[in-house]
Amino acid sequence: MSLPWSRFTPNRTPCGQTRREFLWEAGAGFSGLALIDLLTRDGFFSESAQAQEKPKPNYLLAPKKTHFPAKATRAVFFFMNGGPSQVDTFDPKPELDKHHGEKYSGKLKVGSNGRPIGYLMKSPFPFTRHGESGLPISSLYPHVSKFADDLCVIRSMYTDTAAHASGCIQMNTGKVRIGTPSLGSWLNYGLGTISQDLPGFVVMTDPRGGPIASASNWSSGYVPAAYQGTLFRSSGSPLLNLATPEGTTERTQRDSLDLLNQLNAQHLQQRAGESELAARIESYELAYRMQTTATDVVDVEKEDQKTRERYGLDNKLTADFGRKCLITKRLLEKGVRFIQLYSGGGHIEDTWDGHTDCISNHKLHAGETDQPMAALMQDMKDCGLWDETLFIWGGEFGRTPTSEGVDKPGRDHNWHGFSTWLAGGGVKGGQAVGATDELGFGGVENRVHVSDLHATVLHLMGLDHNKLTYFYQGLDRRLTGPGEARVVKEVLA
Amino acid sequence: MARFALALVLIPSFLNAEEPEKKATVDLAAIDGNIGDEDREHWAFQAVRRPQIPQVKNRDWVRNPIDQFVLAQLEKKGWQPAVTATPQALLRRVYLDLLGLPPTLKEQEQFLANPTPQQLDQLLARLLDRPGYGERWGRHWLDLVRYAETNGYERDGVKPHVWRYRDYVIRAFNEDLPYNRFILEQLAGDELSDASSETVLATGYYRLGPWDDEPANPKEDRFDQLDDIINTTSQVFLGMTLACARCHDHKFEPLTAHDYYRMVAIFVPLKRPQNGRTDLDRPAGNKSQLAKLAKRNQQIAAQNSRISQIRQPIQDKWLASGQSKLSKNALAALAIAADQRNNEQKKLIQAEQAKLDQEVTAALDEKSKAKIAIGQATIARLRQETPDLPQGYFYEELSPHAPQTHLLLRGRSNNPGPQVQPGLPTVLEKQQPAFLPADEQTTRRRLTLARWIARKENPLTVRVYVNRVWQHHFGSGLVRTPHDFGVMGAAPTHPELLDWLASWFVSEGNWSTKKLHRLIMSSNTYRMSRKSNPDYVAIDPENTLLWRNNFQRLEVEAIRDSMLAVSGQLNRKMYGPSMYPFVPRAAMEGHSDPNKIWKPFHEQEASRRTIYAHVKRSMVVPFLEVLDLCDTTQTTPQRLITSVAPQALTLFNGDFVNRQARHFASRLVHDAGADPAQQIKLAYRLALCRAPTLAEQKTLMTFFSAETEKFQQVDKAGKIDAARARQHALEQICRVILNLNEFCYPD
Repeated sequence: MSLPWSRFTPNRTPCGQTRREFLWEAGAGFSGLALIDLLTRDGFFSESAQAQEKPKPNYLLAPKKTHFPAKATRAVFFFMNGGPSQVDTFDPKPELDKHHGEKYSGKLKVGSNGRPIGYLMKSPFPFTRHGESGLPISSLYPHVSKFADDLCVIRSMYTDTAAHASGCIQMNTGKVRIGTPSLGSWLNYGLGTISQDLPGFVVMTDPRGGPIASASNWSSGYVPAAYQGTLFRSSGSPLLNLATPEGTTERTQRDSLDLLNQLNAQHLQQRAGESELAARIESYELAYRMQTTATDVVDVEKEDQKTRERYGLDNKLTADFGRKCLITKRLLEKGVRFIQLYSGGGHIEDTWDGHTDCISNHKLHAGETDQPMAALMQDMKDCGLWDETLFIWGGEFGRTPTSEGVDKPGRDHNWHGFSTWLAGGGVKGGQAVGATDELGFGGVENRVHVSDLHATVLHLMGLDHNKLTYFYQGLDRRLTGPGEARVVKEVLA
Repeated sequence: MARFALALVLIPSFLNAEEPEKKATVDLAAIDGNIGDEDREHWAFQAVRRPQIPQVKNRDWVRNPIDQFVLAQLEKKGWQPAVTATPQALLRRVYLDLLGLPPTLKEQEQFLANPTPQQLDQLLARLLDRPGYGERWGRHWLDLVRYAETNGYERDGVKPHVWRYRDYVIRAFNEDLPYNRFILEQLAGDELSDASSETVLATGYYRLGPWDDEPANPKEDRFDQLDDIINTTSQVFLGMTLACARCHDHKFEPLTAHDYYRMVAIFVPLKRPQNGRTDLDRPAGNKSQLAKLAKRNQQIAAQNSRISQIRQPIQDKWLASGQSKLSKNALAALAIAADQRNNEQKKLIQAEQAKLDQEVTAALDEKSKAKIAIGQATIARLRQETPDLPQGYFYEELSPHAPQTHLLLRGRSNNPGPQVQPGLPTVLEKQQPAFLPADEQTTRRRLTLARWIARKENPLTVRVYVNRVWQHHFGSGLVRTPHDFGVMGAAPTHPELLDWLASWFVSEGNWSTKKLHRLIMSSNTYRMSRKSNPDYVAIDPENTLLWRNNFQRLEVEAIRDSMLAVSGQLNRKMYGPSMYPFVPRAAMEGHSDPNKIWKPFHEQEASRRTIYAHVKRSMVVPFLEVLDLCDTTQTTPQRLITSVAPQALTLFNGDFVNRQARHFASRLVHDAGADPAQQIKLAYRLALCRAPTLAEQKTLMTFFSAETEKFQQVDKAGKIDAARARQHALEQICRVILNLNEFCYPD
């Protein structure tokens, strides 16, 4: 009997979900390394050596090889939630000054949601040239401007959406629809983790709330949940359920955990070789160690006065973001792969979404973040991690050079052209790449789509955006796919 | 198949959506020609044929043909199947598999008194009749259909009454709705000749995906929503990844862009009931029910209007008399003509409407009163004769005329190619079958599709379904890519068994899922122990030959529900609006509306089964998320299993488990008395369906004494409370038991 399935090639699983890899996934804690150790002790490798298939080295979180050598090994994304205005920050527009108060007569669809379109409005924040490069930066950034020679401002960014939810999601995941992995997830999937007992992708939100679309912004989408962003609180107990439960002493906590280990070990003895069970035992020990390490990371009380001053911890305006930047420094030192700091949270004026009064809005939010960001960058230079760290600054889109109505200093959303800057490992600083039109509405030179930015970030971290793929629902998925994207070569040092 | 035959003009990527793109010419017949007969030879596209049942040497092991297929493979290698699991292990296994709950003490005693294979067969039948079965297996279905109760994105609005779809699914499993009927109801429940409220609620299936109420590009978004339907439908019912053919022919499978847009043409008549950004529900009923309801509402409106006409002059008179006790502002607002009032005035009146109505009612003369009473009685009678229909959440198809569908070049909504007719994938249907003609209400395109999928001759439908049922009993399917039976999918480990099951399911099984469970669970294959064998592991680590039953972690629902059952807190209330499990305040900090998104914790409600937990796309309950709940945005064929540290933190430190540990301890004291040895024995039986071993008993007793003693030392501020110390030690033991590997890895 000739069976139709005689045409099979055995084990042709495109997504590579074989039992071998599955075990690795099962074992992944925040620490791939600890697990390797555990499994080696368990004789896991000797067993797998006899298996039909060789274990592939793409288990979840252990360090992986880059596609090509790169300087940056970790990244910080300062996410200016709500959309900062390019013409008030990093994209000076002298022509806008000249036409202040006139009506906009260009072709671009301006603004969002049918909000009123007012008149061209010049920036009240004067631009000055900084550093040897003479890169112009507005007066909103007295501290960051000291790093002018390190910044590469992309002035010709554009995106596909005028709405916050889809905008934030696109800036984070490359798509306007929810459900795909975010940049931080891709980086951890592609590079694995350096840190032993901290998550590889940390997110710190604003005390006023999270970004619109919330957790979809740091979702791991279809890649395993171990790659998703972990919300990290900047004081007290940074991770959910990290603290020993109320009413339980540390002594009881340890004794109960020992009891659990003892009983689990007896159970495992009867089931030798069940790596999932071994991995689960290890995850409890790792969790216990994290109770100390993660709590220590957020304890900034012991920092000296000088550090406190540099990060602005004693100034009400900068205290919160300063604290986050200082914690970021420690996380970077411990090897956390990707850290995202949100400035602005909730809605409208609590974020950079300056519809009503963009001037006071930006003074507030830039004021909260300028000094802390500069302190973090300086510390990275001082501790020798500057070259290994990539800094990304920007929001989900920019703002219109027009006001919203007459004598109303609000600015609406602008997704045709806005500024994002990069600095640190592998970035050619002291320059602006691309340009918007003379009034600052749309990108006209060297336009850079969000996906091009993602391709460039991956490149700076040693990953080829066309090769970093995950097979899901019939296709090799990419952060920058399914369309084409390019690495912005001008950004590279 | 010659792929990429389309001469598409390459266009620069990421142009602004407003900019038109260059046209390309596409010949639909040429696209169909890309699929050849060699593509149709793939095993899963061939008709299911019933294979011969193989002969085996060890006939004693065979309880039904499944065992013969499995054993024949093992015997070829000279291997032995694993021994039968212990009665305790089997009992726990069947309870968890079918109900997602452990057996109670009494149920254990009943079975273990006479634990024969035949007793177990009878037990299976009884368990399948329990309502908990639908709650367990309905959840597997909800994974497939991307069930969630909000839309995601900025407002993440609640899908009104979407839980009625969840209830429909639970009922469908409990009533053992034949699978072919289950398909028809979800895909075309509104178009069936015997449509009812239930079958219309079933079509909620289409509308479960995320929805951006403020889309970046509304035209593109419409196609994204259709894509969500095509992606889900093709994978769930057919095991095909058709959505990959949206922009061009599928890169790996014999599926074309033409096939994709044929499917678009089937779903394109569906409309979302909405009012701007507000997502709306609708009364669920068949055509005649809806017509009756509409007529009734008209009649009621007429009666109401009559009543108003009687009251209005009396109200005018009353207000003019100056006797009204309403506020001055409200009276001033009432003095303005109804169509001239601004919003503030309308609000003022609304706030005091009830008071005004009371005043007017008191001022009515007897004759008016009598007239109004007659009107009200008529309304009551109308409502009684034609009761309200349940509100449900589903798309509507409102016309027999479908909008035109075009193949979109490179999948872009602003780049339409030739017009496309509704149809089925060419690789499965060389000659496109005729679609049903539209009737007066709808196009009946979905009905045509549903019937085609639910045909017993469809080579994919039944194979895909029996494989899913198998997967939930064994941890993995006979085809290990349950959503992908295409050429890139995995080959079945036991192809003959898969086909035999598919054929049996349709003919002997009459599409009954419950019969399929009984068949599978009666086999000795299912009843094997999970114990490993180092020799076999070395050669077949993935257990593709089924030499044992697979070790597998319980899904988060079964873990959480078992904990509630063990602690005695499980609230068996079924159906209805969802409950809100406890979420720590800290978990909401990442949300843009941290103060509004969750309801206050109500322990009794929150102690219902996990399938009733509210699923919010922008904030999934952390306990569920961390323990590998499925993706809420897309169809999930199989849960991932990870063992990450946050799970340990959640289960060891989190509120839920510590709360259940306290309840569990109190229950033990109540049920087992004061003797810690008895308490521990009972705890093991309740949680693990077995008595502790001597070694375990000793370990636990040692811990109990030490902890009791240490706790007293710690707490010497006041006088020593021995009872409290014992309670504390017992609570810690309960906390540890709920965290045991064995608790979530049953064997």
